[in-house]
Amino acid sequence: MDRRAVPRLLIALAAMVAVLLPGAPAFAHNALTEATPAKNAELKKAPDGVTLKFLQKLNPDYTVISVSDADKQKVATSDPEIDGATGSVTFDEPLANGVYTVAYQVVSTDGHTVKGSYKFTLDDPSYVAPTSAAPSPAAPSPAATVSRAAPAAVVDAEPASDSGSSSALGWIAGIAVLVFAGLAGFLFIRRRKA
Amino acid sequence: MLTVAPSRRTRSAVVAAVAAAFALSGLAGCANSEAKTDTSSTGTSGTGTSTAANSNASSGTNTGTTSTGTDSAASNTLTVRDPWVKAADTGMTAAFATLVNNTQTDVTIESATSPASPIELHTMAMKDGKMVMEPKQGGFVIKAGATHELAPGGDHLMLMSPSAAVKPGDELAFTLTLAGGGTVAFTAVAKPFAGAQESYDPGMTMPSASAHS
Amino acid sequence: MAGLGAAAAGGAALVVRPGDPLPASFTSLGTGEATIGFHGPRQAGVTTEPPAHAAFVALTLNRGSDRDTLRRMLRLLTDDVARLTRGEPALGDTDAQLAVLPAALTVTFGFGPGLYQAAGLTSPVADLPGFSIDRLQDRWSGGDLLLQICADDALTVTHTQRMLIKDARPFAAVRWVQRGFRRSPGVHAAGFTQRNVFGQLDGTANPKDAAMETAVWAPDGSTTLVVRRIRTEIETWDLLSVADKEAAVGRRMDSGAPLTGTAEHDEPDFTAVDDTGLPVMPDFAHVTRAHMTDPRFKILRRPYNYDEAPDSAGRPDSGLIFASYQADIARQYLPIQRRLAEKDLLNEWTTPIGSAVFAIPPGCSEGGWIGERFLDS
Repeated sequence: MDRRAVPRLLIALAAMVAVLLPGAPAFAHNALTEATPAKNAELKKAPDGVTLKFLQKLNPDYTVISVSDADKQKVATSDPEIDGATGSVTFDEPLANGVYTVAYQVVSTDGHTVKGSYKFTLDDPSYVAPTSAAPSPAAPSPAATVSRAAPAAVVDAEPASDSGSSSALGWIAGIAVLVFAGLAGFLFIRRRKA
Repeated sequence: MLTVAPSRRTRSAVVAAVAAAFALSGLAGCANSEAKTDTSSTGTSGTGTSTAANSNASSGTNTGTTSTGTDSAASNTLTVRDPWVKAADTGMTAAFATLVNNTQTDVTIESATSPASPIELHTMAMKDGKMVMEPKQGGFVIKAGATHELAPGGDHLMLMSPSAAVKPGDELAFTLTLAGGGTVAFTAVAKPFAGAQESYDPGMTMPSASAHS
Repeated sequence: MAGLGAAAAGGAALVVRPGDPLPASFTSLGTGEATIGFHGPRQAGVTTEPPAHAAFVALTLNRGSDRDTLRRMLRLLTDDVARLTRGEPALGDTDAQLAVLPAALTVTFGFGPGLYQAAGLTSPVADLPGFSIDRLQDRWSGGDLLLQICADDALTVTHTQRMLIKDARPFAAVRWVQRGFRRSPGVHAAGFTQRNVFGQLDGTANPKDAAMETAVWAPDGSTTLVVRRIRTEIETWDLLSVADKEAAVGRRMDSGAPLTGTAEHDEPDFTAVDDTGLPVMPDFAHVTRAHMTDPRFKILRRPYNYDEAPDSAGRPDSGLIFASYQADIARQYLPIQRRLAEKDLLNEWTTPIGSAVFAIPPGCSEGGWIGERFLDS
């Protein structure tokens, strides 16, 4: 965890420099620092919304957060709610299982427009598809998908199949996902700063 | 000189000679600042003032001249174009115009009148190395077919003692009396003007200066 | 002086009637001799193609002005304009030779709320409400009478401005003068959208033909004018990438095409989204915010650039003399301005520092004068 603290400190320093030195606008680009759901997260429970934390304060007028499904259809959300450097939207309806793209467009204090996007996957075993008959609502215990052992490395991969899986293997996979997610988050932040 | 551009609606960059030709041939009559003359009118200054208001050509912004007369046969003798008066809060001032003789004989303006003020015909002359203003002996003579400028620094109609301030935008009626008794009436607009720096105030070498009150 | 005289004589020798082909050697004089008719039911200088140079002259009426002084002033000024737009010197013009090349001169009269007040009449226009983006300065705001002087030659504008101010001086004081410019004639094809000092094509969305009629003119031949001096923050604008600039405007910098199109006059598609689901036309982009489709809600933009001397550090003093004509300020201009003040990324690099509104009364016929319809009653 202290390996993450170092880049954090650098980020904070960079932000301070940017604020203190009006003549150094190159430092002033905004960047995503934290996202919930996280990039490439594999969720077992539908999130209420998306929260994005940025390096700089956001201007509510110039902050766009959009979520779309695998068919590129926009998911209905609230308008972005801005609190300092954090912007969030809440979903109007519970999400169905699937892969979602979170996209954002924010404007840095120096006017640069910053765009980005990432995906996350919802695979709620208890989810009942509204149209067709549900696969297996039998096991409501914590479980994760087996089929995606290393999702963090495969950013744009479509979910192969998310049929029901179960048992103790799930726990192992779940831990693996967490480790990867942490690693991915670290890499992600580093890359944004580079 | 291009300073005497004709009042025309077409292209304007022509020399004054061309302008005069237009005026002489009557082509310039479409403009709004043309005046016709009445060389045989028995009326004098009174006619000018009364017709100024209702003449079609003099309505609105027209700062030009109006016809006094009904005798169309003689109405082309003298055209008064682009007349104006120097506005003055107090004291003397002057009126200017371009006079065009439409005939083949010389025309002499013997005198001028206006309800606004007694008028004298003045010219500028060199005296003792200075330009001074003095009454024009014998009046203004406009040669046959010629154009005669009444302009700051040159010949002009002197308003010797205006009965009221001549305010910018005011319209003043004038009547010229020609040798032989004909009259030409016109209306001139008052303009703020500081050019040429002639002083029309007393103190200047000018015989008639005493008229100022 | 000899040079001037020779030039004048050369110009004078050329007499070309409308319709005649210009001699090849004099082709360039076409610009100087072009005239735009002054008289008519509507004033010129509104829907006529904007010439290269403009002076917006705002005057403050003397205290105690009334219908009589207004009438005298407007008759004088109308007469000056009628002559100067024909390429003739005004009465008492001390630099008459400067008047002979009108270069498509138009002078448009605008009446501010103060003029109506002086005449004892209800003003059809009122000062704009304040907007959060405003940083207005008195020296660029307000005015009782506006003279919008436009010509394809700066010296013609200068002479006209000088002549009109001289004749207005007994009645009014100069409040502000804003001089602006656009591309010069012959630089690109007629009807080409001009670029502003930000490099943007400016005026693409202007209504045309029938839509322009609807947007601009009231049935009586009047319209209204909003003049805003908008400083452009070029130092910070310079720091942006092209993509940043395009995101702020919603149009491509090179072609002026909307970000959803390929050509300048393509209609923007505000529903289009990119691969990640973001709108291609950002909802905070200038075009997204300003866009109106119904001609009844459009405005006719007729802006000029300004560029004064930079400061000692080289920072420019540049911007836009925003001028928009519309039949009804409340119906057309205000909703757009409110939307832009509320949200428009371009606001980050633009600052309104002056604001004025004027009614543009109907034109006049030959022998008439601007304003006579209500001041002479």
